Amino acid sequence: MVMAPDMVAVRRAQAARMRGLRVPHGVLFVAPYLPFLVGFGILPMLYALYLAVTNDSGSWVGIDNFVRTVRDYRFLPAFGHIILYTCVWLGSLIVIVVALALLLHGRANRTSSTFRFLFYIPGALAGASSVLVWLFMLDPVVSPGSFLLHHLLGSELFVESIAPGKLPFVFAMIAFWTGAGGWIVVMYGALNTIPDELEEAARIDGAGPLTVALRLKLPLIRKWIAYMTILAFATGTQLFVEPQLVNQASLGLVPDTWSSNQLAFQLAFRYGDFNGAAAIAVDLIAIGLIAAVLIVMRTGLFRTED
Amino acid sequence: MRLLKGSAPPRSLLRSFRRSVLASLAVTGVVAIAACSSGSANSSSNQGSTDLTVWVDSVRMPVAEAYAKAHPNQHVNIVTFDGDGNGASTLQTKIQLWNRTGSGWPDVVFSEQVNDPVWMAQKPFDFAAPLKDLISANLLSQWPAASTAQCTINGELYCVQDNLAQVVLWVNKKLMDQFGYTVPKTWQEWAALGTKVAAEHPGYIVGNIGDSFGHWIYLWGNKCPLEQFQGDKLLINPADSHCTRVATMLDPLIKNGSVPPLSVFTPDFAQKYGGANDKVLLMPGPAWYAQALFDQTLHIPAGQITAAAALQWENETPITTGQVGGGPWIISRHSKNLKGAADFVVWATTVFNPTGQDARPGYPAYAPLADAWLSAQASNSYFAADPTPALKSAASQVWAGWNLVTYPDQPVWSNTVITQLVAGKSLSSLLQPFGDALAQAAQASGYTVARQ
Repeated sequence: MVMAPDMVAVRRAQAARMRGLRVPHGVLFVAPYLPFLVGFGILPMLYALYLAVTNDSGSWVGIDNFVRTVRDYRFLPAFGHIILYTCVWLGSLIVIVVALALLLHGRANRTSSTFRFLFYIPGALAGASSVLVWLFMLDPVVSPGSFLLHHLLGSELFVESIAPGKLPFVFAMIAFWTGAGGWIVVMYGALNTIPDELEEAARIDGAGPLTVALRLKLPLIRKWIAYMTILAFATGTQLFVEPQLVNQASLGLVPDTWSSNQLAFQLAFRYGDFNGAAAIAVDLIAIGLIAAVLIVMRTGLFRTED
Repeated sequence: MRLLKGSAPPRSLLRSFRRSVLASLAVTGVVAIAACSSGSANSSSNQGSTDLTVWVDSVRMPVAEAYAKAHPNQHVNIVTFDGDGNGASTLQTKIQLWNRTGSGWPDVVFSEQVNDPVWMAQKPFDFAAPLKDLISANLLSQWPAASTAQCTINGELYCVQDNLAQVVLWVNKKLMDQFGYTVPKTWQEWAALGTKVAAEHPGYIVGNIGDSFGHWIYLWGNKCPLEQFQGDKLLINPADSHCTRVATMLDPLIKNGSVPPLSVFTPDFAQKYGGANDKVLLMPGPAWYAQALFDQTLHIPAGQITAAAALQWENETPITTGQVGGGPWIISRHSKNLKGAADFVVWATTVFNPTGQDARPGYPAYAPLADAWLSAQASNSYFAADPTPALKSAASQVWAGWNLVTYPDQPVWSNTVITQLVAGKSLSSLLQPFGDALAQAAQASGYTVARQ
């Protein structure tokens, strides 16, 4: 459909006016948040970068802190733990959240809204409180799910539930329970942006519910899945609350440097080595950024198309 | 066609944009200023030099409250915290933050970790105040030499211990009489009894090894060199015969269940071995187990428990035993009320000695108070027999070859040894990894380690 040149000009003028009008309103929403983003997000990040390349007295040491922290005997085990944890958690999060969201979207409305609410409730608990709930769940003596603990985890005692080999899976379970609900709601919202006509057209063409879910809806929410992956990867690699609380509750059975973030915490406060802690923090942000850039490039997250 | 493409937005739009940005920045600025000023108002109100801020754990809270009651003219702010026990880094975190901001230090701190004063007295924390000028030498001389030695870092005294925690052998007299056993005097007799109990009365125990301080009971008392200063080096040698012979003795007992790798403070333990039908026959443990563990935690009925002398290894003399805690009181060098702080610490360690239900849970470190406490415990109806002779004799038998260091060794024992004991490995096979992990922790804390 070709438009006449003056029609094109009118359309362009309308678009420009709309864009011009929208700018101040958008900034109005974002502006109160900007000082906090700068003050509590960007400035500390720059300070950490500064600390990571200097030493105690402020003089430049290059990559000395990075080399020193990598050589710490707890560094590699901690990174190993969080890589394994992130793989388990991210994998289960993406698969189960998307599957549940697709399932809820395909179902009748009242059932799906009840279930959305139920899935969301665990996420309403603050992170630390949910770990405390799980400390009870993991103790076979007091847990209501002791049957599952006996047969799935094979544990008769609390110390067996938190045996070193089981920890990535235990933490993934805790993090999933608190995080999945919110993401299901987001995915459901994403699915709602799919125009009904597309779905109807697909059904008319003879597609069953499974085909509609996998071949039609899934590709269209690709960007939301990418967004979820980026954020979940970052929170996964920066795990802190779960191992720290289980460390305290188990009186040291789970080490206080299980995750890299915990190691940074210990370096800062037990040894007073803020530069080493900053180096680990920069490592974590670097892998988060690399993952984000890779995902953005592969999925075209910021590409605008129709 | 180039009319609107690339041209600046109209002036009216610019003005409203600028206005909205300025308005939002003004709002955030006002909020920030309000928050900052209210924060500083709070800190300035606590600057009075007659105020006393004490940090105590829940067990020491009665002491602080009693002091406040007995000294109505002294305003005491009592803050309870987790006591920094079991190798936690609570106090390190707090002190680092206070040092960085330059304010907030309490006047007196109680810690459950007996090695806390060691790092508190050194850089980068520099928190503890030397006590030489704050407490009279007369008073200080009444603490046992071993206790004073533990609080002396680089030649200066930085703390006083609240209680001694010498390891004795706790005995369930009722069950021992019932089964016809005699109380063992040596580790060998104890081990033999453990084997016997596993055969004749399975389910009953003669000790446990699942606590974060298990190594202090079994290895410290038997002179295993895992934390021994030798000049400027730290000796960590788990291959020493003093260590290996203990592991060889314990392995069959762990295997047959008479010394389970469970912690006494878990619900699992209380359910299995505590309560009215308790199965605790013997238990090597510290003086403070007395009522705190057996009565309040495990709810073992009165008339069963008493204490026997610390176990001897074959016929080696002198008899040495281990130590589990003995929390120190530390005064902050930044305190604006050093006199009040010293007064509090002296009162808490030399005066506070209620009787009956509220009695001190631990053996007082200050000798005259210890005598008073012992005579009260001698007539304590909870015990089946007088536990005080055993407690008194063990007080001077703590092995001095286990020195205090800046890093905590409890978490290393917990996550290197206990997790593997639970998984079924033997203690003998875990001594080397334990020593290696201790050496790593020591080196990370700046010590030069000698491995033999």
